[in-house]
Amino acid sequence: MADAYLIPAVNGVAYGLLLYTVAAGLTLTFGVAGVLNLAHGTVYVLGGYLAVSLSDGTWTGLALGALAGTGAGLAAGLLLWGMLRPIEGRGHLAQALLTFGVALAGGALLVRAFGTDELRPSLPAALDAPVDLFGHRYPAYRLGFIGVAAVLALCGVLLVRRTRFGAAVRAVADDRDMVAVLGLDPRAVMAGVLAAGGALAGAAGALGAPILGPGPRTADTTLLLSLIIVVVGGLGSIGGAFIAAIAVGQVQSLGVIVAPDWAPYLLFAAMGVALLARRRRWAT
Amino acid sequence: MTLPRLRSALALSTVALVALTACNAEDAGDGGKVTIGFVASLSGTYQTVGEDMRDGFQLYLDTHGGKLGGRTVDLVVADEGDGPQTALPAATRLVQEDEVDALAGVVAGGSYAAIANLAQENKIPLVGANARPDMKSTDWLWHTSYISDEPGIAIAPYVKENVAGPVYAIGPDYQGGHDELRGFVDTYTKLGGVLANPDGKTRWTPFPGTSDFLPYLNEIAQTNAKAVYCFYAGKAAVDFVKQYAQSDVADLPLYGAFLTEGAILDAQGDSAKGIRNVLNYSPDLDNPANRTFVAEWSARHDRQPTTFAMASYDAAAVLDRAIAAVPAGQDVSPELINNAIGALGTIDSPRGPWQFSPKTHSPIQRWYLREVALDGTKLSNLLVEDLATVGG
Amino acid sequence: MKKWPTLAAVAAVLVTLVVLPFVLRNFALLTIARVAALGLLAASTALLTGTAGLPTLGQVAPYAVGAYTAGHLAHAGAVGLVQILVAAAAAAVFALLTGLAVVRTRGTVCLMVTLAVGELTAIAADQWKSVTGGTDGMARVPAVRAFWGGEPMLKGVPLYVYAVGTALVVLVATWLMLRTRAGALVRGCRDNEERMRASGHRVGLILLLTHVWAGAVAGVGGALLIAVQRYVSPADVGFEVSALTLLAVVIGGAASLWGAVAGAGAVVAVRDNLAPAGQAPLLLGLLFVAAVYVLPRGLAGINRRRDA
Repeated sequence: MADAYLIPAVNGVAYGLLLYTVAAGLTLTFGVAGVLNLAHGTVYVLGGYLAVSLSDGTWTGLALGALAGTGAGLAAGLLLWGMLRPIEGRGHLAQALLTFGVALAGGALLVRAFGTDELRPSLPAALDAPVDLFGHRYPAYRLGFIGVAAVLALCGVLLVRRTRFGAAVRAVADDRDMVAVLGLDPRAVMAGVLAAGGALAGAAGALGAPILGPGPRTADTTLLLSLIIVVVGGLGSIGGAFIAAIAVGQVQSLGVIVAPDWAPYLLFAAMGVALLARRRRWAT
Repeated sequence: MTLPRLRSALALSTVALVALTACNAEDAGDGGKVTIGFVASLSGTYQTVGEDMRDGFQLYLDTHGGKLGGRTVDLVVADEGDGPQTALPAATRLVQEDEVDALAGVVAGGSYAAIANLAQENKIPLVGANARPDMKSTDWLWHTSYISDEPGIAIAPYVKENVAGPVYAIGPDYQGGHDELRGFVDTYTKLGGVLANPDGKTRWTPFPGTSDFLPYLNEIAQTNAKAVYCFYAGKAAVDFVKQYAQSDVADLPLYGAFLTEGAILDAQGDSAKGIRNVLNYSPDLDNPANRTFVAEWSARHDRQPTTFAMASYDAAAVLDRAIAAVPAGQDVSPELINNAIGALGTIDSPRGPWQFSPKTHSPIQRWYLREVALDGTKLSNLLVEDLATVGG
Repeated sequence: MKKWPTLAAVAAVLVTLVVLPFVLRNFALLTIARVAALGLLAASTALLTGTAGLPTLGQVAPYAVGAYTAGHLAHAGAVGLVQILVAAAAAAVFALLTGLAVVRTRGTVCLMVTLAVGELTAIAADQWKSVTGGTDGMARVPAVRAFWGGEPMLKGVPLYVYAVGTALVVLVATWLMLRTRAGALVRGCRDNEERMRASGHRVGLILLLTHVWAGAVAGVGGALLIAVQRYVSPADVGFEVSALTLLAVVIGGAASLWGAVAGAGAVVAVRDNLAPAGQAPLLLGLLFVAAVYVLPRGLAGINRRRDA
């Protein structure tokens, strides 16, 4: 009987890793720069649209799409940073509202450019076929995605845990005043973090397009799921976000089969509980 | 506490703006003219369906000199958006502001239910041309497509006969999905068929939130199903069909209603090959009305004509004949149109001849089995055989 | 000196409101009636966000409770007055329960907790089919009679009078309450929570009561929505509506009830009338961005919190 749950569970891992890549960017911007970036889902969608447009069924197209998605995400992050500069010191809420407006307008522009359908890239033939997984059929692309995303996630965790850059990021996430203590230029930190967060979202959008393709509703879905992951994972913790993302992936994949009546509530309920449990530290 | 001047100005200008919109309505009482309100999704999930419908209606007008029943048509098109929350204000505006003589179109069942209420209260005929939920009262309501449970009723005997063993039923969890699946499941089990679903009930997938069907497909693979029956439209149909082809159940025959109709077939690509589906229309039907329709359509659009376009074309045809029945010189009124529709008789349509059922006010028509295959170099829904005549 | 423009504005708005039914056609009146419903939702958001300093994305939740409650009452044949009172009570009870969690949070966390509350309610509206009708919504709500023996309201004029009248009563009551000592206490909690605590005030209780009041206001808004639109679905109470409401509040000034209502009017006008078909989100988004840059005072209420 465990066999029955194998494919949904593997699938949940693929989904979770995708969400982790997106949420890692959001965690970074929120944890380090203190910006609640509500345009994060829109950057994901931007990466997705670019990947779809550049895809032509070849490996080159796939690689180009991934590069373009990452690059566009990075640029979008820098653009956001530029837009946030004039309202520096006006608090989290002004930032959240501004990024929300950007999300609304940017989403509308993207729909105008790419239409209202949810799009999927055309993949190289080898990836666009099922492969055998313990006697089950499973889409080759998703299996490949699990591999790539796992490597990316591992690199990310090593970067944050083992390098000086990571140490600085962790220090700042713990206490934002550490920027000054470490002798960092706060403006450079902001720009870097927003660019990195955008790049992660753009890359996720490009690589995740065959799984969670760009469309008019995708930005909202991605943003809400990443918010849940960031919050449940502990607001700014990369490791916590990883565990939360895998859990969210399982709820979305295994949960809908095992407990279809409760799965929809589970995510936001978990978010509420996590927020109330941690409210003291993040009360500002 | 003072009210900053900016905000007072804002409040006043808002009031003025709203007032402005009231002043640009024109009076529609002139005997030589008729005002028709057409509601369809021109934005959102069902945009391609809505555009097909609008173009179908427009095609009829263009090929008939812009007139219905000899009177010049003032066509007011309103955007239905994703559902009742946009459709209802849009339709309200057509009724209250443009004072239309008849309403037509409407993509989604939820929008239809809300607009039907509006039409009945204001005594305006509504000629629906797509989804149609079960209605308690059909006064003022007419329909040129079909009632949502009919595709399932039409194909169930064929599936029972041609599939050796239980069939798994799956569909989206909203009223339209429930209606579609109920038609199939009730007829199929009445004929002695057994569902492969473990609890003997249709599996519902959350709507519109589901884009990952693999968990459900995997569940189907755990049963002894010999075939799958489903109803999906729009993006859900694309996801379902593509993932189906890459899952454990890829070798099981897939039957469906709607599943591959319209622009989504291009997005589904090769994974849609071989899917057998039931519909009231196929572009390759061989009859004079359809030859004209397809030729005129192809002269204007480079996409294939769909059932959506066909049903809206028929909605215009219905209004054409009904308005023609109003004596020349007499003002057209919603009530006269409504009475005339009731007395129409057989309508010659690209789908073949059909007529309104006196009870449900929707077509009694022939249904067709189609299969997705290459037509030249392009994937298309090709006619396999005629199924039952259903309706009423 | 400052009083003159204010009085003039109030008089102008009142006169306009009275004259409108004689000038405008059906549809425009219905639009204003819809703005009244959304305006109460915006006012309740402004009350929490601006006056109490609890920025919220979740006022659609009590609004939904009010709307679905009123919808059921309408099906059962209750008159408008009963619908409004029961919807307000139901929304208040709901706000009491969720408030126990919400008033413990501040700033961004408050925004996210209320977002979770709003989303959970929208999901419930989607899932709890026996009560809400699921995704398809609650359709065919019979036309509402304002009082016993009244006519069912179908056209613009009666619905306008009903919705705008009710909204005015609720808004004036709220506004008067905020001018009393109670209002000063609420603003005190926003401006200097520590001092309030130090002087022995029960901040949590004050905020909870404000949350309940705001919930009731939103609930009345929901009841008006049902009367005017005679339909409610999860899309009426989803994330998008929360966002539009917040935009209305940002435009109108977070601390001003009347500004929020005007903002709701502006948002609806842009969405339904000014934007070319399908371009409303773009225009609203740009408006949002512009509001943040150009109307920093619009966010004044929010910023007074020490979350910078």
